[in-house]
Amino acid sequence: MKKIEFNDIAPAFYSVLSIVFALITGAVILIFIGKNPLLYFGQLFFQGMFSPLGLVESIIKMAPLLIISAGLLACFSAGLWNIGVEGQFLIGAVLAGWSAPTLASLLPYPIYLLSVAALGAMGGMFWILLPAVLKARYDMNEIITTMMMNWVAINLVTWLVKGPINDPTSVPAQTALIPMEHRLSMIPFTSIHIGLIVGIICLFIMHYVIRKTTLGYEFRVLLSNKRAAFHSGMNVARITIWGLLISGGFAGLAGVSDVLAIKGLFQGDWNPAYGMTAIPLVFLARFNGWAVVPLAFFFSFLSVGGEFVARDQGVPIFFVHILEGLTLLFFAASEYIEKRRAF
Amino acid sequence: MNVPPLIKTAGITKSFPGVLANDHIDFDLFPGEVHTLLGENGAGKTTLMNILYGLYQPDEGHIEVCGQKTRIRSPYDSLKLGIGMVHQHFALIPNLSVLENLVLGFEGGFILNMKDAEKKLKRISEEYGQAIDPHELIQNLSVGERQRTEIIKTLFRGSEALILDEPTSVLTPIEAEELFQTITTLKNAGKGVVLITHKLNEALAISDRISILSLGRKIAELNGDELRSMDEKDATEKILNIMFGGKPIPECSLVEKTISDQVVLKLEDVEVMNSRGVVGLNKVSFEIRGGEIFGIAGVDGNGQKSLCEAIGGQRELVSGRIRFRGEDISRKSVSKRHEMGISYITDDRMNEGCVLDLSLAENAILRGYCQPPYSRFNIIDNTVVDRFANKLIMDFDVKATGPYVRTGTLSGGNIQKFILARGLSTEPGLIICSKPTYGLDARTVNYIQELLLEESKQGTSVLLITSEMDELINCSDRIGVLFNGKIMAILDKCDATPEKIGKLMLGIEE
Ligand SMILES: Nc1ncnc2c1ncn2[C@@H]1O[C@H](COP(=O)(O)OP(=O)(O)OP(=O)(O)O)[C@@H](O)[C@H]1O
Ligand SMILES: [Mg+2]
Repeated sequence: MKKIEFNDIAPAFYSVLSIVFALITGAVILIFIGKNPLLYFGQLFFQGMFSPLGLVESIIKMAPLLIISAGLLACFSAGLWNIGVEGQFLIGAVLAGWSAPTLASLLPYPIYLLSVAALGAMGGMFWILLPAVLKARYDMNEIITTMMMNWVAINLVTWLVKGPINDPTSVPAQTALIPMEHRLSMIPFTSIHIGLIVGIICLFIMHYVIRKTTLGYEFRVLLSNKRAAFHSGMNVARITIWGLLISGGFAGLAGVSDVLAIKGLFQGDWNPAYGMTAIPLVFLARFNGWAVVPLAFFFSFLSVGGEFVARDQGVPIFFVHILEGLTLLFFAASEYIEKRRAF
Repeated sequence: MNVPPLIKTAGITKSFPGVLANDHIDFDLFPGEVHTLLGENGAGKTTLMNILYGLYQPDEGHIEVCGQKTRIRSPYDSLKLGIGMVHQHFALIPNLSVLENLVLGFEGGFILNMKDAEKKLKRISEEYGQAIDPHELIQNLSVGERQRTEIIKTLFRGSEALILDEPTSVLTPIEAEELFQTITTLKNAGKGVVLITHKLNEALAISDRISILSLGRKIAELNGDELRSMDEKDATEKILNIMFGGKPIPECSLVEKTISDQVVLKLEDVEVMNSRGVVGLNKVSFEIRGGEIFGIAGVDGNGQKSLCEAIGGQRELVSGRIRFRGEDISRKSVSKRHEMGISYITDDRMNEGCVLDLSLAENAILRGYCQPPYSRFNIIDNTVVDRFANKLIMDFDVKATGPYVRTGTLSGGNIQKFILARGLSTEPGLIICSKPTYGLDARTVNYIQELLLEESKQGTSVLLITSEMDELINCSDRIGVLFNGKIMAILDKCDATPEKIGKLMLGIEE
């Protein structure tokens, strides 16, 4: 049983093409605001991809994107739109920041890691439980409910680190620092933490879950024809809840990975907003786990390189978000063209 | 005729991956005529019309409209050229009103002038005898009324040529009668009508010309003189001969069969609500025995859907009980009932019966995906699934290039064949089939009817819901007539006559 579109070469071509067009349009915009695009992109690529520091930095930044994308694969391929990745990420992160210092001193290292990861993932799942149930039972639009849960999460974690789980020994609103030896370990001979490997594994598991398992099959049927799913006896509510819970769980896990590996604690106003990058990413990859990896690298390279360049050339850092947006725009256009060409 | 044809195609060729759907087709339509297209399932009728409607571009050949060579790039172009099409599976927007649907996408300035539109709608309705309430929501209309809206929509946009793709397959006999009156009116008003159908009697009754397609080629054209020179029987024979190359069509045989004493399905005072929250079935009771074909007659919308879904498990009972082989299944889930051997073949093939965006292989296991051999430990075994899909395609002669094609690319009749193949493949104990032969060509209709009889001879029970009187009377052992959610009467085969059934269907008791 072969998937019809996913495996063809054409989709990859269109995705690459939309990136190229986005870069070209970005260059035109740079000219308009009086910057030299050659200089900008030259430095962007050099710093983000070809300097050892930039390269490592870009690769490290892939981890949360990969983990989040793994979850989004599940819900998007069921036609469920979890827009609240940020909120679930923050809940996972805050749980990790709060529990890690204590658990680390009580449990042996591997078990401690697994428990914190499980706790964070469950936190993410818990955070999407309400939208999932509302969707499954009352068909309430999950785009709106998950987005609302985002705001609740952002405010909740800020409050938590100011009060209940604040580390009294430090002045700013944050949790206690996790000692270096309790952080996530590195891939041998590198300074890249194992979150990257976790991400890749998650991604490929989900890639195959969607294509080979009965749950994935249910997702795909639900995406294209909910009535047929119901008619043929599928438990639509159960599938809906699973699709959303899986995506929430992975988002929570991504939060754990970032806290344990990079931050070492949870800070009140910290919100990397990976959702904004991961959601377009999964679309661009057309729900294909393999395609997510290079695209995740590209996007994290953009943000790392963009940071470097912003300092040097005074192009605001959000310019890379403009590039991301443009990529998605061209991608939408390419999908349209592709559909027309089919006739 | 000296007037140029409204539409003319010359050498139209269109191929899809692995299929030559249209092969150098010359076709024309004059003002004031009904030109009928006949042909087996997958012959290329819909494709040719979609080309005229601008949905597909031909690979070769050209189109002339009123003598002018033109290119039709989109439905928008074709509407401007005065060509309107009502599709095999039409698409109105359910939660808009009739009027809103009519003005949708219609150029007439940015501000929709509803008052003018309503006046115009009224004029068209009167002119062509197509009464419809402009403010009714589409979702509340019957299929026949929706189709009427589609026709009005094309007239509203000033179409001179009308393409109707299998319009009667979804209509009740009365609605079909009304449609033919409309077609006649249109014809007399000088419009041209292309009619696609599988029912030869309809084609012969109304056509001025008949073209026959087969495997993408036009293999015959019968003009008015030829048609008039034959009586209906000769003409039917001749057309079938052309269409199916003289291969004999198996008649519905009446071989003796035995109906067992075992009651397979038993409904006891079943009550359900239909999808609009109104009583769908009102204390319905009957039983079906092993090997029996129980026919259900009735005007569409009198509880047929509720009945199927109550037994299939998609609809909850308000009261009453359903037993299958003695076991109470009233509270069992759809998949449980399916496992027990109840196979429900829906008449809504595009929306319920299959997932158009998925492949045939994926659709083949829509019901059985959870069970071995299709999956083990929740892992789907693709080799088995592919082989199964291939078998369905072979057994039912489904016209498709393989199990991987997107189901939506199949012709309407071939999708129906595939769904039937799947529904009959599980060796069920009870088959519920609603309009099993709709949209199928004459030969396949016979094949399916034969097959249902064959199944019943093997001891399978069948609940056959159909609006075809011939099918109903030929195939059923007993016939129940549904009216307003109630079984009006249950007739034995020997005393079921069309007249009797017709009266009961309208709620007239003896
Ligand atoms: N978009 C498409 N992509 C691929 N194949 C197609 C597509 N549309 C039609 N076909 C193929 O072209 C052939 C002709 O299809 P078409 O729908 O014209 O048949 P038809 O004569 O209308 O049949 P029916 O009576 O069953 O409606 C079929 O074999 C079908 O599978
Ligand atoms: Mg057709």
